[in-house]
Amino acid sequence: MADKNGFFDLSKTTLTRRTALKGLAAGAGLAVAPGFVRYSQAQSSAPIKIGFQSHRTGIGAAYGRWYEKTTAAAVKAINAAGGINGRQVEVIIEDDGTDPGRGAEVVGKFATQHKTDIVFGTLFSHVVIGSAPAAGENKMPYFVVSEGHHVASTKLNRYVFQPGITDVKSQIQSMAPWIAANAGKKVTQIFPDFAFGYDHRDYLPPALKAQGAEVIAQIAIPPTESSFTKYFPQIPAETEVIYHVMVGPAVLTFVKELGEFYGSNRPQLFGFIDSLEATDINSPGLEFLDGSHFWEGSPRYAQANDSEAQKAYRAAVGIDDNGAAVGDPKDVSTAAHMFGCWETLYVVKKAMEDAGYKGPEDRAKLVEATEALTEFAEGPEHPQGPKTFNGKIHQCFGIQNISKVEGGKLKVVHKTKIEDGLYEAEGDYTTQAL
Amino acid sequence: MSGRTEGGAVECRHLSLALLLTAASLILPTPALAHASDRGHVLLLPTGYYLVGGAFAVAVSFLVLALLPAESLDRFWRRRLPLFAFGDVFRTILSLISFAGFAILIIAGLFGSRDPLSNPLPLVIWTLLWAGVTLLQGVFGDLWSWLNPWIGPWRLVLRLWGGNNEGRWHLPQWLGCWPAVILFFAFAWFELIDPAPDDPARLALAAGLYWLFSFLAMLAFGYRAWSRSGEFLTVFFSMVARFAIVERNEDGRLGLCWPGAKLFAAEPLPTSGIAFLLLALSSVSFDGLSKTFFWLGLFGINPLEFPGRTAVVGSGTFGLVLTFVLLAAVFLLAVWLGQCLARSDHTLGQAAGLLVWSIVPIALAYHVAHYLTALLIDGQYALAALSDPFALGWNLFGTADMQIEAGIVAGADSAWWLWNVQAGAIILGHVLAVLVAHGFAWRPHPQPSRAALSQFPLTLLMIAYTVFGLWLLATPTAG
Repeated sequence: MADKNGFFDLSKTTLTRRTALKGLAAGAGLAVAPGFVRYSQAQSSAPIKIGFQSHRTGIGAAYGRWYEKTTAAAVKAINAAGGINGRQVEVIIEDDGTDPGRGAEVVGKFATQHKTDIVFGTLFSHVVIGSAPAAGENKMPYFVVSEGHHVASTKLNRYVFQPGITDVKSQIQSMAPWIAANAGKKVTQIFPDFAFGYDHRDYLPPALKAQGAEVIAQIAIPPTESSFTKYFPQIPAETEVIYHVMVGPAVLTFVKELGEFYGSNRPQLFGFIDSLEATDINSPGLEFLDGSHFWEGSPRYAQANDSEAQKAYRAAVGIDDNGAAVGDPKDVSTAAHMFGCWETLYVVKKAMEDAGYKGPEDRAKLVEATEALTEFAEGPEHPQGPKTFNGKIHQCFGIQNISKVEGGKLKVVHKTKIEDGLYEAEGDYTTQAL
Repeated sequence: MSGRTEGGAVECRHLSLALLLTAASLILPTPALAHASDRGHVLLLPTGYYLVGGAFAVAVSFLVLALLPAESLDRFWRRRLPLFAFGDVFRTILSLISFAGFAILIIAGLFGSRDPLSNPLPLVIWTLLWAGVTLLQGVFGDLWSWLNPWIGPWRLVLRLWGGNNEGRWHLPQWLGCWPAVILFFAFAWFELIDPAPDDPARLALAAGLYWLFSFLAMLAFGYRAWSRSGEFLTVFFSMVARFAIVERNEDGRLGLCWPGAKLFAAEPLPTSGIAFLLLALSSVSFDGLSKTFFWLGLFGINPLEFPGRTAVVGSGTFGLVLTFVLLAAVFLLAVWLGQCLARSDHTLGQAAGLLVWSIVPIALAYHVAHYLTALLIDGQYALAALSDPFALGWNLFGTADMQIEAGIVAGADSAWWLWNVQAGAIILGHVLAVLVAHGFAWRPHPQPSRAALSQFPLTLLMIAYTVFGLWLLATPTAG
């Protein structure tokens, strides 16, 4: 592993999953290591450095852990297949603490200290929004895996991309045809009374209306609420579908109390798996969800008709047929979202290869090459399904899964079309200067 | 190197960033994916019964103790099971090894992986040392006096360059352990309030500079003096070790004793010692409190979209100080009321200095309850990271590629077990605290009725703190 001078030499070894992710050493260490200069003479052998802005601590840590596993698996696969432009990929993790202020600092560190080629991997929207200005100032391509509408809204900047996961506006909109046709025409929404809930509050009614259905009541629950019984009488009696997107520790209580309120005679239930991501669907209190439906980005449970690419992806990341860690069945993954890390890294690979990317001086070329992408075919690089990409709004569009809780598992009963989730662009990043 | 020190540009941007953030939050939807989390399972447990049961258990133990004759208790707690003698020769060697390990960790912090779950420094400092060694001290006694990274190097320096065991200068008597109180506060602030205490480089700087500062102070004032008044870890660990079941007498002979029995031999603590113990308990209490929906709600913070540590530095600092002031006020009030009820002629300082030792089992119980899941999960990360401290692909102990089993704390079954262990620790800690306070009450009040009366207000406080501790574990929290 070490060369004759005693310095670790990346070019002479195959990166293991661990070394790929941990990075060989911090920029601080490399900067003082005498052997560091070798890369400046032979840049073609230097690794592509990806700064992973990771929720290692803070409220996003449960997601962060699985984003790290997925990223490690993707990097291992990419490196095993020869890397990007023949160069190995090295990931440097910095913890952002799921903290927007810290997130911006971390982007700055990647730019000035680690000198990474890109920054990647942020999930929580407030961290994306907090970090995006730093990415713009440092002219650092910033590939997020957040599902927020913030990128597609074109209110961030030209350096921010979301090519590996669809945004929430698209997700909500594409649920409407199925809900109207299969669950019911009169929908009551129950959502937490803050921005996450407002997306559903604002995007669902027009989408349902276009399908001949309607939202007949919207019940906003204060985020600090931990008992919900008093809100249920607000649900109109004629409700055919309850559309629920509660999040946080009180979700189990919410479902249990809803079950106690309705007993066996309930309207249809439709939810977003965000409520129960990384939580066992068979947990006590969730019995009431049996027979209900959920949005899933990528299915948690292995499906009978899974593609070979999906099977290979699941094996590489290390999740079993129930979507839990192989060998640790209680460690339920964030399957609905984490595939975005895998797919985003392959988009980065494609864009870097299209751009003939050589180093940080080519970052603008990388931005333009990414904007020039239009579609990603389903396959090993995009196991969740095919996608289109709108370079003007830096956002991809893909299929969504609607899954039914059946026999203690989530079974995919419908896959939406990409067109179901398309909407008119709200702006154009490509008009901004690089 | 760390986020804080890397340059003024980042710091200067904070204001504009905050403005941008606020503006962005107003115009953009901000989906947040708050995890249902394991606290969700606890919310479904009948935790209310535990709160009532815990309060009842503490109250009953007070009544039972009040009825027991002092002599029998005293005899019981004085029983010892002698073991073997253990010489002092290894102390220097162990400490030197510990110092070498510490130095390697600092280097790893500065130059190893940037990932706080792969770099061994944050995992060793926060998980193995702060969470783990505290518990070991509480069970096995003062291991820290052997493992600390100062005494070995200090002895070595004295041997090589000569010098006085007592140092060049003397610390004034009135100083007590106030330096340790201040340093412990700084430590607690760094752990609980600083935006990135897990950042390896930032922690390496903090820990490395603290080691150097303490070492210089030990050379100046003598190891013994500074480790009793200034080095907060030693002050804390030696207080906690008083609760342990292992005792080492002056001849170096080890023996077993009942939990807390060593506390009965303790002398009253000075005001600074009282402040130190109360700060130790209040800081871990605040750590729990600061994440509750209740506390965040007071500051208008949405717990489902927690804005991160950088956004709560002000309220956190306020809370850390407030919790200490409140606990100290209520504790002193309880002791003072007890003195009044028992018509004691001892000063408040004397009584409080003695009774504050009863905080030790409570602090330990909070420590167990609070750090249990971190120990179980981050302890695994630590084992993996230690095998490859510099992220060079090494596998020194064969643990580098071990699977981190996060599932051991996940799901309803784990939540049930964890809750019961945590609640059990909290209740047991308070029962033992009542016992310790009771044992001390006999010293100034040989008359049983007066002794019981003097304890009454403090017992009420302990019942309240039991309920508070259980509530912290049962109430909804962010993250």
